[in-house]
Amino acid sequence: MKIRYFVYLVLFAFLASCKPEVNEFTPSKGTADFTTYVALGNSLTAGYADGALYKSGQMYSFANILGQQFETVGAGKFVQPVVNSEFGVLPGKLKLGYSTDCRGVTSLGPVSDAGELDSYTNHVDYAVNNMGVPGAKVIHLLAPGYGNIQNLPLGLANPYFVKFAATPDITVLEQALSLSPTFFSLWIGNNDVLGYATSGGVGDVITPVDQFGGAYAMLVQNLTQGGAKGVLANIPSITDAAFFTTIPYNIVAIPDTMQYAVDALNAAYAGYNAAMEQMQKDYRIHFQLGPNPMVIMDPGMEGVPEYLQFRQMTANELALLTLPQDSIKCATWGSAVPVPNQYILTEKEITNVTEAITQFNDIIKSTATNNDLAFVDFNAIMHQVATTGLMFEGVTFAPTFVQGNLFSLDGIHLTPQANALVANYYIDAINAKYSANVPKVSITSYPPIQFP
Amino acid sequence: MKKITLFLLSAFFLSTTVFAGGYQVRLQGNKQNGMGLVGTSLNMGSSSIFYNPGALSLMKDKLHFEVGASGIMSNIDFQMEGTNSNWQPNNPVSTPFYVYGAGKINEMISVGVGVYTPYGSTAKWDEEWAGKFLIQDIALKAIFIQPTISFNFNNKFGIGAGFILATGDVEINKAINYSDNAKANLKGSTLSYGFNVGAYYQATDKLSFGIDYRSKITMKMEGGDATFTIPTALQTTIPPTNKFDAELPLPANLDFSVAYQATDKLLLAFELDWVMWGVYKNLEFTFEEKGELLNTSDPREYKDTFIPRLGAQYAVNSKLHLRAGMYYDQSPTNEDYFTPETVSLNTFAYTLGLSYSPIDMLSIDVSFLQLFGQKAEKSYVPDNFNGTYQSITYIPGLGVSFKF
Repeated sequence: MKIRYFVYLVLFAFLASCKPEVNEFTPSKGTADFTTYVALGNSLTAGYADGALYKSGQMYSFANILGQQFETVGAGKFVQPVVNSEFGVLPGKLKLGYSTDCRGVTSLGPVSDAGELDSYTNHVDYAVNNMGVPGAKVIHLLAPGYGNIQNLPLGLANPYFVKFAATPDITVLEQALSLSPTFFSLWIGNNDVLGYATSGGVGDVITPVDQFGGAYAMLVQNLTQGGAKGVLANIPSITDAAFFTTIPYNIVAIPDTMQYAVDALNAAYAGYNAAMEQMQKDYRIHFQLGPNPMVIMDPGMEGVPEYLQFRQMTANELALLTLPQDSIKCATWGSAVPVPNQYILTEKEITNVTEAITQFNDIIKSTATNNDLAFVDFNAIMHQVATTGLMFEGVTFAPTFVQGNLFSLDGIHLTPQANALVANYYIDAINAKYSANVPKVSITSYPPIQFP
Repeated sequence: MKKITLFLLSAFFLSTTVFAGGYQVRLQGNKQNGMGLVGTSLNMGSSSIFYNPGALSLMKDKLHFEVGASGIMSNIDFQMEGTNSNWQPNNPVSTPFYVYGAGKINEMISVGVGVYTPYGSTAKWDEEWAGKFLIQDIALKAIFIQPTISFNFNNKFGIGAGFILATGDVEINKAINYSDNAKANLKGSTLSYGFNVGAYYQATDKLSFGIDYRSKITMKMEGGDATFTIPTALQTTIPPTNKFDAELPLPANLDFSVAYQATDKLLLAFELDWVMWGVYKNLEFTFEEKGELLNTSDPREYKDTFIPRLGAQYAVNSKLHLRAGMYYDQSPTNEDYFTPETVSLNTFAYTLGLSYSPIDMLSIDVSFLQLFGQKAEKSYVPDNFNGTYQSITYIPGLGVSFKF
């Protein structure tokens, strides 16, 4: 009797045994066709990080993440021009490590991470879907010979494109079209202002708007003429990047014990102040104990003779991450010696940058609208990161150098987690535009900056 | 018998798991387990120490002992919002247990003592899962020891009270977003006090009422051990070993219950449990060193819940009793603050059970519960962690009771 009931009970338990199954997500391609996805762009598309294009960084490129997610909605394999080195194609890779400054103080920060490179002369012979070329401007994607090694000494080619260009004189666009893409991403335009900005307005010029507009239109027209769908992304507010915001304008710190230094500096600049007063200019240089604005060179000072074209920096101006801090600490840069212009973005230069970005972004936005393409507003997203920060899955993103988790060690390019974030923004825009259901990725599956 | 003893002994060393309603576990008697966990209006011997100390003085036997345990097998599936990525925690089987002993001093007074485990939570997510910065695994164990005294008046109305000595252990692991494999381990134990009072009224031969109040107990961890596994470069910022204080409230319960002997064979019971989860506002950790950097205060904002329960018992003959029941347990969690450390969903459960008495003094009590945690989209807003959860839990239980 009792056995029978007990058997019933066990049997019932067995029959009832089932597991929970949450399946709220059905991948679908919507009105887009992801069969052949090609990514065009610059270093951000290529997966450049920590000052180099290296193997694992490239693996975490947002384009590669997108390519993998598209596989759930019918895409073929996404192929990258693999860099077979953790140190990159060109030198410059950074890692977090310890360095000792000119005063003998050891601290944690980006240090050089050198090793055997995978040179651009090691040519990639297979067809690739990731056509991101670090350093490329809009016009470069249309430039014949941009991948021709013969053009390198002339500055007309790019070693990263040399590495995977199918033929010496093919353009990036032609090579992309040779794959007959059904879907493309185009994130280009940053370098049309970035080169100017990262050289303090000295080393490069901002692309003229007409030229930018013409080239951009030609790119999109060619990419869409076969009926391909795609996604365009605009230029982030680059002056919010850690590269521009890490070093404070008033980095010249005079300890309380050094009143004599304050007096000496003020005495030395007395003549400068008198000359400015005489010329009825508002420029004055004054030092006090504690933090002081750097003295900088500024060839943009109108009506001031060239030998007096230096002044103290304002809070609205930006010092670049490339500024050698040892020169501040031990070689009187910023106090007795004006900081060279190439390390500073002056207010005027910042205005040039932001105005150009606004104009370029207007072009990108209207191109997206006119061609009915998906569009990601990274300018707005970057602004949000800079003002309030972002939080996903317990991962925070802020523009702060190293700790902020957004920028890799070069202060401009992204961490793997930030690339995953970017990929998710792309997917949101694509899903919205094409009524698709491309699955997003979990940001926590991607690594943050590695500390020693 | 030897096997049962072994099983129960092993139970003492295992923890209990959450199966619904925050981290409360009410599997405190295998007879009651079979009846939808209704117990406050029932007079089933020494387990009244937990369900209603007021009923203890009305127990039918001079001496009564009960011992038993359940095995909670919980299955959870989680899918992150906007993805087709699923994760299932690999929760170990956890085993809440109970031991009660009670005796009548005279017709009016009974005394007894119970050891039981009314709160607990075990969740063991994958170390690399999407919510790893919220929780990787958690083990919360609480053991209550409750000496109890009960009085009755005219064999109809009984009141009783017990003093609760509660020991608790908590261990939490969560990942930290510095390099790979950085994590925090927080481990603490506590000793706290509370009480359990109840009243029982046998209105007629057929009708009985019960009311019971178990006080809130705050598990206060002081000087718990925090271990941070982090890269060497950050160890000057975050000390690898640290001490912490934290508090976790175990909420008060107020249970109302009525039982009706419908026929000679059929007993029906209804109960409404008011669980005062509203006290769980925040989970705060305060650290001895680097508090300005490490201290956390995470909102939980639980709300009180009311759990309706139905139970029935059918006496096939004097040796065999069959039981069944059901209940609906609302999640006490807040819409904005649902964390995967306590996957507490709105839960419907049915229960089954039987008792068999091969000899008059011994009863073997078996129960089986199945709990359906209803699929729901949940968010933990402070971390922007969103997804859909579902759970199904199986709980077989076995106990024995002796009377003299």
